[in-house]
Amino acid sequence: MMAFLTGALRRQDLDLHVVRARRRVRSCWRFVHGYRSLYLAAVLLLALAALARSSFAWVIRTFTDDVLLPGNYDRIPLMGLYFLSLAAAAGLLTFLGGRLAAQTAEGVTRRLRVFLYDHLQHLPFAYHDRMQTGDLIQRSSSDVEEIRRLFAEHLVGLGRIVSISGMAFFAMWQLSPRLALVSAIVIPISVSVSFGFWSYLARIYDLFQDQEARLSSLLQENIYGARVVRAFAREQYEIAKFERENAILLNRGRNVVRFHNVFWPSMDLILASQMVGSTLFGAWMAIDGQISTGTYVAFTGLLGMMVGPVRHLGRIFAFITQSLVSYDRVLAIINEDREPLDTGLVDMPQELAGDIRFEDVSFVYPEGTQDLPGESTLPGVLHGISFHAEPGQVLAILGPTGSGKTSMMNLLPRFYTYTGGRILLDGRELTEYPRRQLRRNIGVVQQEPFLFSRSIRENITYGTFRKVSEVEIVAAAEAANIHESILAMPRGYDTVVGEQGVTLSGGQRQRVAIARTILKDPRILILDDATSAVDTSTEKAIREALRNLMRNRTTFVIAHRISSIASADRILVLDQGRIVQTGTHEELVAQAGTYRDVFRLQTSIEAELQADIQSTLEAHPA
Amino acid sequence: MALDSNQYEEEEYSATLSGAALLRLLRLTLNYRGYLAGYVVGVIGMVLAEGTHIYLGKRILDEGVLAGDLGEVKYLLWLWAGVAVALAGCVALFIFCAGSVGQAMNYDLRKTMFGRLQELSLAYYDRTPVGWIMARATSDSRRVSELVSFGFLDMFWGMMSILVFLGFMAAISWQLALVMLAVVPVMVGSALLFQRHILGHWRDVRRLNSRITGNYAESIHGVRVTKSLGREDSNLAEFAELATGMYRSSFRAAWLSAAFLPVVQVLAAVAVALIIQVGGLQFRTGVITLGGIQAFIQYIFWMLFPIQEMARVYAQLQQAVASAERIFSLIDSLPEVQDQPGAMEEHSLRGAIEFDAVDFAYEPDNPILQGFNLRVEEGETIALVGPTGAGKSTVVNLLCRFYEPQRGSIRINGQDLRGMTLHALHSRIGMVLQSPYLFSGSVMDNLRYGRLDATDAEVWYAAELAGAADFIDAFEDGYATDVGEGGSLLSAGQKQLISLARAILARPDIFIMDEATSSVDTMTEARIQQGMEQLLETTTSFVIAHRLSTIRNADRILVIKDGGIAEMGSHQELIRAGGYYHDLYRRQFRDEKSRTADPFFGSRLVHA
Repeated sequence: MMAFLTGALRRQDLDLHVVRARRRVRSCWRFVHGYRSLYLAAVLLLALAALARSSFAWVIRTFTDDVLLPGNYDRIPLMGLYFLSLAAAAGLLTFLGGRLAAQTAEGVTRRLRVFLYDHLQHLPFAYHDRMQTGDLIQRSSSDVEEIRRLFAEHLVGLGRIVSISGMAFFAMWQLSPRLALVSAIVIPISVSVSFGFWSYLARIYDLFQDQEARLSSLLQENIYGARVVRAFAREQYEIAKFERENAILLNRGRNVVRFHNVFWPSMDLILASQMVGSTLFGAWMAIDGQISTGTYVAFTGLLGMMVGPVRHLGRIFAFITQSLVSYDRVLAIINEDREPLDTGLVDMPQELAGDIRFEDVSFVYPEGTQDLPGESTLPGVLHGISFHAEPGQVLAILGPTGSGKTSMMNLLPRFYTYTGGRILLDGRELTEYPRRQLRRNIGVVQQEPFLFSRSIRENITYGTFRKVSEVEIVAAAEAANIHESILAMPRGYDTVVGEQGVTLSGGQRQRVAIARTILKDPRILILDDATSAVDTSTEKAIREALRNLMRNRTTFVIAHRISSIASADRILVLDQGRIVQTGTHEELVAQAGTYRDVFRLQTSIEAELQADIQSTLEAHPA
Repeated sequence: MALDSNQYEEEEYSATLSGAALLRLLRLTLNYRGYLAGYVVGVIGMVLAEGTHIYLGKRILDEGVLAGDLGEVKYLLWLWAGVAVALAGCVALFIFCAGSVGQAMNYDLRKTMFGRLQELSLAYYDRTPVGWIMARATSDSRRVSELVSFGFLDMFWGMMSILVFLGFMAAISWQLALVMLAVVPVMVGSALLFQRHILGHWRDVRRLNSRITGNYAESIHGVRVTKSLGREDSNLAEFAELATGMYRSSFRAAWLSAAFLPVVQVLAAVAVALIIQVGGLQFRTGVITLGGIQAFIQYIFWMLFPIQEMARVYAQLQQAVASAERIFSLIDSLPEVQDQPGAMEEHSLRGAIEFDAVDFAYEPDNPILQGFNLRVEEGETIALVGPTGAGKSTVVNLLCRFYEPQRGSIRINGQDLRGMTLHALHSRIGMVLQSPYLFSGSVMDNLRYGRLDATDAEVWYAAELAGAADFIDAFEDGYATDVGEGGSLLSAGQKQLISLARAILARPDIFIMDEATSSVDTMTEARIQQGMEQLLETTTSFVIAHRLSTIRNADRILVIKDGGIAEMGSHQELIRAGGYYHDLYRRQFRDEKSRTADPFFGSRLVHA
């Protein structure tokens, strides 16, 4: 089943649930599980490479003390060879270390990407209701990229600096511990100065970025409002407005430049004073005979190697801090609980009858939920909902916006879980079935369905998990009344939705979704406002398609037009989360209540219209 | 409002570099001559100082340590410190100059682009996605600025370093310098070749990366469908395949990049080994000193960094030049509609309006209007009805000269539109749209947009006429209430009323309402009609509407269909004709009645 996971990646490797931890350090440590020895090896190799490079000092010293100064010129080629071998070793080790680091970085990133993708599609509706789509996309693209950089660049950079400086210090220690200690004075100084500077930069850079965002939204507003700007001839006014903010951005940008302007030269001066001090000390020791000339020469080479990289530490820490912010944002997603798809007490029967019983069902949305799909005005809350739908029956639900129609239907595939009462499917409570099996038996058609940017054919077979023949696809499309329209498209069934300027009309999208549902062949069907056609020309086609789809299925029709539900086996009238009336069209028309009011109103309008037209026609022409 | 610029962060996937764009970019950079001069001086000073430092190191070894003269060491170190101070000064100078060039360039590009955007016609906005424009003004502009500041700087610094260091080497030993002269081009050349190879792989990675982002976006948008169809596993399988492809590409690109530095370093080591060999022999004959050999080795190591930087800039160059090309394409776009030479600054648009045999199409093979003729008398109110896309809005767009007809002419008071300036035309026409756009700021700011010098009393009066005064007064902060970005803190109906008041305030000669009050409740609608009665009486008006009361009150109703006027006349005449208007009227009648009287809609209608 998981054959797609090639190579080293197995399903259990994919699981990142372990990174859920209160403490970030622990979480990060777990984040690299499976790659720890690889990363450790990478660090070791890079350290060895640094050691090899520090050993150049040894060659230089030998070259000076034992070859050149005593005149052992026949050993010159040997020195060249030593040097080359060390360089080759250093190069090879650097490369291997870099390669392992890359493997780790790309490996953990792939795991994160795949896990996050899967995690997002397993998070419950309530989570997606709460979150902004744009924000989630941002986190899964930019923030994941930032985390990749943390492993591929920032941590490796940090390791490189520490190992080069550390190894240079170690080599210097071998030459002369006193010299090494004297030369290392600058390290704590430059590290702390660098930290101070970079935390200050973070502040002024934030200001710069804030202004950048301001300018961007100003520009975006101007583009969206282009028509208004033209209509009021306000171009000059807009330019002046933009100019003000643009100038502020320029100033803040200059502040950032000013920072670098102070930072780098100061850093250079600090390091230079160390160089002067150490060189003087080293020269004095050499002249005094405490160290050999070769040692002095080797020492001057190591000095730059040790103190030079340190000034970049502040910058790297600033980057790491930034990456950790991204890590937190991604971790916040991972910390959310998935809704289990496969846990349940019983398997769904092969031949599901489709008998549905609501018993005193109530439901309240979880806190923090906003922008409910289909319920734009009132938070959908249900109280004491009870009814029974027999296999194959058509049940209509009528009610104003916000009365809880969609909320009620969302309980059936367990997109949300009801908070009171029970819902029975074929005599067993809904919660006993695994969600996946339940959902495979329920089809939902909406007024404006979502299609994926793939071919029409793939969209039609999207909900089907077996090999589907061309004949079946065409049959489904025909039943959905969309076959002809598809053939008229530039590439027929291979037309990719949304590409090459192919935009499907609302009615066409709906019928593709109907074909998709026909192939899925669910026992239970929910038509969520699918009957109010987008435009009159396709209304007939859609009605016909829906009739084909509803055949032999337990169907729920959500609507607010009497005409589209009068033929239902039973009609539930919903108001403010309660069922206020129930019965057939004939029964409901016969009793006083909301249904009859609506019905009478819709009939009386017809009469009114006739009268209006009549009076217009009879009036004297103007 | 989230910026959707990410998806337009397009990359050049081909390896071609536009020479023309690069040249133009270089010419643009020359605008900042003062800074450029500073940065050339700074870089040369810095490179000379670095070279001198190494040279002083040689003298300290030869004349101080080997000669056993500590006084000389101290003297030379004083020199060294002096050079270090000069070096710091040069660093400050070049950072200042390069940074300033970058900021100034970024500022100027944004300014130029914004100015151009104000000139471009609406047709440009129709075919260009907002995200595309945003990406030009943000990431592209930044990328170009980075190139001309630190990119060019590093390139220049790299070349200068190599040249100057070679000079110092020649001063120490010209024979050894000749050896280096043979080695350096090999190092630089192979570094650039290698870099170019790596670049190709990174382009693959970026391409895959945008696919991954697209996949995420679709999966998040369609998550509810995925759940109801139970597609989780198949989706995961597909995505895992994509992610694995990405892993392979980026791993390959990454380890190739990891090989870059070692390769350059090993090449440098070969050079050092050569110096040890040849220098050792020269030492024997006394041509070179120990300090000289040491300095040579240091010069070689110091050359590594410039070579690395040049390779980096080379990578940056390709992307930035592609960015520059896109920016230039925006700056070079010509507005379709422009003021013609000698256009008049008309002060009145009173008089009859004539459309004379007008042909118009947004896209060449999809004509909207064909041979369209219409004469509207001054003060008349015209209602335009017809199916979506038939061209109702097109008629008013042409009247505003947002677009230019392909054939025929439009005249106001006998004067062709092309004979007047756009500014004159636009400042005399008031337009209210169905989805009006408000700018972030206060309600007052937005109303004043109609006439910048209006007094508060005039603004209040306009708001009163438009039926907006009530809800504005009900706000805690009244007219100072913030409307949010794009007016997002207000309801659709409130936005429509403010936009109506804004247009009234402009005191136009011609008034256009395109579905202007579609989201307003019936009561308010009636009040607006009362308030605007006088205005509509004296002003030539075009009304596109669904609402029957608005249509019925018009002097004339035009049914626009199939590129022209299908029916024209008063309400009675058209009902009598029993054509399209008759059907539309019946449909709309039912709709409106059920909307207003239906207990479902009527009782709990959330007033916009």
